[in-house]
Amino acid sequence: MSRIIDSGLEELSAVLYKMGELAYHTVLIAIRECVESRDSYNEIREISDTLILMADYVEDKAFELIARFQPVASDLRTIKSYMKIAYDFVRFGRYALDVSHANQKLGGIRNCDKWIISHVKDMGEKVLSMVRLSIDSLKSRDPQLAEKVAQIENEVDKMYFDFLDELIERVDTTIKCAVSSVLIIRYLERIADHSAYVCESIIYITTGKRVILR
Amino acid sequence: MAPKLEVEDLNAWFGTKQVLKNINIKIEENAVTAIIGPSGCGKTTFLRCLNRMHEINPDARVSGKVLFNGLNIYGNGVDPVMIRKKIGMVFQKPNPFPMMSIYDNVVAGLKLNGVRDKKSLDAVVRRSLELVNLWDEVKDDLNKSGASLSGGQQQRLCIARALAVEPEVLLMDEPCSALDPISTAKIEVLIRKLAKTYTIVIVTHNMQQAARVSDYTAFFYLGELIEYGPTKQIFENPKHELTEKYITGKFG
Repeated sequence: MSRIIDSGLEELSAVLYKMGELAYHTVLIAIRECVESRDSYNEIREISDTLILMADYVEDKAFELIARFQPVASDLRTIKSYMKIAYDFVRFGRYALDVSHANQKLGGIRNCDKWIISHVKDMGEKVLSMVRLSIDSLKSRDPQLAEKVAQIENEVDKMYFDFLDELIERVDTTIKCAVSSVLIIRYLERIADHSAYVCESIIYITTGKRVILR
Repeated sequence: MAPKLEVEDLNAWFGTKQVLKNINIKIEENAVTAIIGPSGCGKTTFLRCLNRMHEINPDARVSGKVLFNGLNIYGNGVDPVMIRKKIGMVFQKPNPFPMMSIYDNVVAGLKLNGVRDKKSLDAVVRRSLELVNLWDEVKDDLNKSGASLSGGQQQRLCIARALAVEPEVLLMDEPCSALDPISTAKIEVLIRKLAKTYTIVIVTHNMQQAARVSDYTAFFYLGELIEYGPTKQIFENPKHELTEKYITGKFG
């Protein structure tokens, strides 16, 4: 027999899944915009605003469930973590918007050196895989899957610092390309961090253990 | 700090039916320990074993030890009346003596023990009623019947009666189940206040109440102690699947 609280939790899950897909889409188009000749700023802005509204809804609904049902144990951990995950998804949208904003101001990196384009593309792919992993872990509530984010997070961190090291060595890079690429990879690195936060929350929900995957 | 009560290999029966199975638990001093679990899990029997009230039933039998300040209350020569004085009990339904005044209700235990000095009794009545936050409400009506009070007041009177004989432990068997939310809140505030001086063990069906008032929570199921730990841990992150299922209402 299902409990009354279950329909509320299911509704929250459904909203979070939608947020996850929107967040993934917005990160995807922001990364593409860096290297392709397209302007996605307005679309990204719209999605980012939608994610904020959805996170507000998640918070309101979570408060309602706490007030009405006084949840405990895994229910309480789920509700607390859902509020946190909703915020992480908002950050995905916000950093995607920041990437797009940098592209608008500085023209993206499509005219920069090949090594920059290649590095940003590679890092973008890694970060996207982390976002996907975090969403899949949420949907499947699979702590083993969530744990896998740690390794990719290490790789992304290494790529971030390797890029900065190489940029310092390359004296011929234009200021525009340097600023643009540094901003983009910094935002990507932050998205990676929030993917790890989501996975940490999944492990907390399912096992009660607090782990750090960064 | 040494535990106030240490229960070792406690088993209890009604006739041939075993209702408690090999219970081991240490009850901390000056803390509130909540006992939770579904109906028939042995919560109340466990509570009644802690001050030898279980044996009042002619069918009942107990084995194992309950150490109170290190003394086995089931040891040879231990006086159960002395134990019940030191380990008081408050019941589910407020049960003031209906033919007695508020004053006499509070000092009933003392009078039974032969205390007659009016000055001493007056002091005990005031102290006990103040402890349960009832003095200001009844100080001008001490000669009225205990039964004239509201349900919540009656329950506080019963707690005052239990405190008057200066116990060290207070056992409470669903003390709020017959009370409205306001009276319940007053009793819960009182429980927290009393825990500074007394060791309290409370049986409750209301899990939110256990979460609100207790420092430690024990979950019983089918006569066994399934899980025992700090209340924060039990309600945020229970270790045992049965506990998780029970407190989240996923049983059955």
